[in-house]
Amino acid sequence: MSGRPVLLSAHRLAVDRGRRRVLEDVTLELRAGEALAVVGPNAAGKSTLVQALAGLLAPASGEVRLDERALADWPRDARARSLALATSREEGPDSLSVADRVALGRYPHCGPFQPLDARDEAAVARAIERTGIAHLAERRLGTLSAGERQLATLARGLAQEPRVLLLDEPAAHLDIGHQLQLFRTLDDVRRGGVGVLAVVHDLSRAAAWADRMLLVAQGRIAAEGQPAAVLESEAASRAFGVRIRGHAVPGQAHPFYSFEEGT
Amino acid sequence: MTSRRSRLVIAGLASALLLALLLATAAGSVSLPFRGVLGAFAARLGLPGDASALGPTGETILFSVRLPRVLLAALVGGGLGVVGATLQAVFRNPLADSGLLGVGAGAALGAVLAVHLGLASAVFFALPLAAFAGAMTAVLCVYFIAGASGRASLHGLLLTGIAVSALAGAATSVLLVATEEFRVKTVLFWLAGGLEGRGWTHVQAAAVFVLSGFALLVLLARPIDVLSLGEDEAASLGLPVRATRLGLLGLASLVAGACTAVAGAVPFVGLMAPHALRPIVGPLSRRLLPAAFLGGALLVVLADLGARTLSARFELPLGALTAFVGAPYFLAALRTNEGRG
Repeated sequence: MSGRPVLLSAHRLAVDRGRRRVLEDVTLELRAGEALAVVGPNAAGKSTLVQALAGLLAPASGEVRLDERALADWPRDARARSLALATSREEGPDSLSVADRVALGRYPHCGPFQPLDARDEAAVARAIERTGIAHLAERRLGTLSAGERQLATLARGLAQEPRVLLLDEPAAHLDIGHQLQLFRTLDDVRRGGVGVLAVVHDLSRAAAWADRMLLVAQGRIAAEGQPAAVLESEAASRAFGVRIRGHAVPGQAHPFYSFEEGT
Repeated sequence: MTSRRSRLVIAGLASALLLALLLATAAGSVSLPFRGVLGAFAARLGLPGDASALGPTGETILFSVRLPRVLLAALVGGGLGVVGATLQAVFRNPLADSGLLGVGAGAALGAVLAVHLGLASAVFFALPLAAFAGAMTAVLCVYFIAGASGRASLHGLLLTGIAVSALAGAATSVLLVATEEFRVKTVLFWLAGGLEGRGWTHVQAAAVFVLSGFALLVLLARPIDVLSLGEDEAASLGLPVRATRLGLLGLASLVAGACTAVAGAVPFVGLMAPHALRPIVGPLSRRLLPAAFLGGALLVVLADLGARTLSARFELPLGALTAFVGAPYFLAALRTNEGRG
């Protein structure tokens, strides 16, 4: 993985919300095809980190670079063709159809005036198919469950055909079947060379999926590395206020984690 | 939802509007024979037709009084419908309306000021010009105050709009009290909304703003749709959110200001037309904007027909009629509103 090119990086990044500093001294790299899971307790600054990496929040100091070029120097449309963001807080109109919603993901490609061409249509169809929502394409957002809406948001992100995909709790409202399907889709996307950074709440799921894990606590990176090493570190135990133990399960590639209150 | 179904709906609305326009030119305090009206139109357009059925008086009524009024009703209704559709997308609220930006209150203040100073009776077209200036001043105040306080957020804009409207309303009532009694009646008629006595000058003035505003907004249909996804998502798709929102609100204010200047307050049209059509044609602006234009035009043409013909003794205020329909509609929509449009 380390031989692949770095797509997105943060350098001593600090971000303020109002007057409060919520991120401090964050340095990270995301490489092509990599799966990077961001974990951390509530209010640690994970969502702020994702928003800053997407260029939605200006850094108070430090910078985010896409392809070794400062994010702020990118033209908006070129940036949106390279980097997509999907969060669980989407606000699309209830009467919008899933297909139309996903098609708006082509905005950075076709711009304000050009009609969608065959390539755009193909990208939309592929995004809908990959996220497994083809049967919902004609439905309106207001008639969907929270999980289905979330998959439609992810499909919009995939329709952008980015090289970097940033996700904020993509599995928040999904049942276990859809969760597994989602992470399978993300793996499929990664095989195409896309770097995926996802904030994941479920630590076991994050460990099973990610190549690398980043623990954010109190606005700083508290630990980084192999998922198993991060989760079983002293820092993780301190950040979550729980004891975390991994148990090897015969016949399974990933350990099973147990959690107990107290450090 | 499919584009075929929306095309059918839009074609149906266009035919209904055409029919309503013909009906509204024929009906009134002096009823013109329908065939005579058709014949006169055909003759003017150079088509074979019998123009003689109306007689010279009938023809004067048709072309100098009724036709401009009916066309103005269509322009005002269409403009307000388009403004409503745009604002509902920008504010991501299916019940938004131009009143939010202070357009109505500012226009009223401008109109009352023109009447108070005696300009309205002395200078031709002074009242609509003053109303338009008032509307634009109010909107600029809203933008400036909301922006200057560092909150260009939607929430800040909305609350600023309410405050500026209240201020303009207070100034309006003070001016009304201070205005000579014989002048107050003119402005009361204007405030109630109506198209009595409007002529081709009003049509031309409204057409410039409404038609060019409509064309520009249709051109910006996709940015409007992207903006309706919410600020963060729109920005992540590469849309310059602040500039786009400012431009759209500016266009909407110009159109709403022009409509209010020529017709006074015609409430709820901008809310009803897009709100009722969105479930049928969907929220994408390239379909909703034309549908809302036609729907708003149809609504106001019919309401103005009612204003002229419902009472034999006097003309009813157009704004009151649209409010009688619109307010119950609004309350029903509030109760059943399933969410964010």
